[in-house]
Amino acid sequence: MKQNPNTVSFTLNGELKTFATEPNEKLLALLRREGYKGTKYGCGQGTCGACTVLMDDRAVYACLLYAMQAEGRDIRTIESIGTFDKPSELQQELIQGGAVQCGFCIPGMIMSAEALMKAETTFDDDIVREYMDGNLCRCTGYEKIWAALRKVLDRQESAGVQGSGASSHPES
Amino acid sequence: MKLCEFIRPASLPAARDNLRELGAKGMILAGGTALHFMQDHTPVTAVDITRLGLSFIKHEGAFYNIGATTPLADIQRYRAPRWAMHEICRRISTHQIRNISTLGGNICRVFPWADLPVVLLAMDARMVIYSGKETEFPADEYFKTQPAKRFLGGDILTSVKVPALQAHHGFGSIKVVRTEASFAMVTIAARLELDGANIKSARVAAGSAIPFPRRLPSVEAALVGREAATAVFQEAAGKAGADAPWRGREGMSPDYSRHLAEVSILDALERAATFARGRAE
Ligand SMILES: Cc1cc2nc3c(=O)[nH]c(=O)nc-3n(C[C@H](O)[C@H](O)[C@H](O)COP(=O)(O)OP(=O)(O)OC[C@H]3O[C@@H](n4cnc5c(N)ncnc54)[C@H](O)[C@@H]3O)c2cc1C
Ligand code: FES
Ligand code: FES
Repeated sequence: MKQNPNTVSFTLNGELKTFATEPNEKLLALLRREGYKGTKYGCGQGTCGACTVLMDDRAVYACLLYAMQAEGRDIRTIESIGTFDKPSELQQELIQGGAVQCGFCIPGMIMSAEALMKAETTFDDDIVREYMDGNLCRCTGYEKIWAALRKVLDRQESAGVQGSGASSHPES
Repeated sequence: MKLCEFIRPASLPAARDNLRELGAKGMILAGGTALHFMQDHTPVTAVDITRLGLSFIKHEGAFYNIGATTPLADIQRYRAPRWAMHEICRRISTHQIRNISTLGGNICRVFPWADLPVVLLAMDARMVIYSGKETEFPADEYFKTQPAKRFLGGDILTSVKVPALQAHHGFGSIKVVRTEASFAMVTIAARLELDGANIKSARVAAGSAIPFPRRLPSVEAALVGREAATAVFQEAAGKAGADAPWRGREGMSPDYSRHLAEVSILDALERAATFARGRAE
């Protein structure tokens, strides 16, 4: 039986990294203590979505995932999306649309939207709702967030941006 | 649960050897999301089974064979003829949970509110368990008691075989929730086989408003041999009270739960009949 190495290695925002950890540590705790504080601790129980990160391009809750489950995976956090000086297209739309109030839910919302844009090629309302159904906002009432996202998605759709089309799972 | 060690076996036999060696200290880890509901601090060694090639969906003759570590999101997105598992998976929790939690995790330790046992009971699925060799267990036997007991000796669920719906078979599931991502107040699943206008066979199962998912034999008996019509469905649904101890909770009386179940049974039967009608192949 392999001994527990008490380290975990994964690609974090494009860079291969190794971190000391222990088996009971959640990925969210590891990320935050390593300085990736854009990933938020909201409920800690898989309900609010503030801790959403991408694992192999799929949105997951970092508060429910043990850090060791990330071994060998590709993890992306909000820090990979945009910066204060160079916000992403969605971040710009959110700001311009006045869609951010306290802002706590926004990193998670953006990561779920990122998963949507990476996987899908068309963005009808049902599929958008499906990808965004695990992110709660206590401030905005969602409408402005939805409108900002819709603008980006409509532009992507008309520009014919290709995701990997994950919704058409081939029979394997 | 407190994870004190974390191991990633390289093969199914190695995983079983690890689990047998660890005994009560060993714990299979798939998506790991249910560990959150086990709030005691028992120290355990997690045996990660997500890298053993158990994530797949294959159409094999009369069955769809779904690997035990297949995420619910993959089941939800899969589309094929005579396949009905996607509907209920879309209704389970949120996108992020469906991406990580697995079929096996949902049915190896069954919580009262789990949705998939209800569907698998109605669909007459077969669970494939590895104990050095693979053995199949019909849903009725598998869900007779808490399945977690079966896995104490180190055995591992490897896949679930869900029958492809045959000609004149129809399926319907209803999950009643307060808010979109919440646990069900009641979950009902029904599979009907029609012979012309009449019901040839019926399997109806329930969960969430009762202590443990189960079939509803009186409801089923009131359907077989009769016309697939709303009045018959209504009469059959009315038998639900005799089949299970309906529980009240969070402002719901037991009577309200039973009534909700009856209405949901009616809806599930209507859906199953609509699905079955006109399906000659
Ligand atoms: C916030 C939240 C909301 C949820 N809402 C719903 C809901 O509405 N409906 C619903 O049905 N579910 C719901 N779930 C439950 C979720 O679907 C389960 O947590 C999940 O199915 C467990 O899957 P997992 O892969 O994470 O399992 P794990 O947490 O990894 O494992 C669960 C249990 O099964 C055992 N196990 C896992 N795989 C195997 C195997 N192959 N062989 C033997 N034993 C095994 C483990 O040892 C453990 O005891 C919710 C979960 C959360 C966190
Ligand atoms: S902090 Fe993870 S879902 Fe709320
Ligand atoms: S802006 Fe405050 S929670 Fe969404």
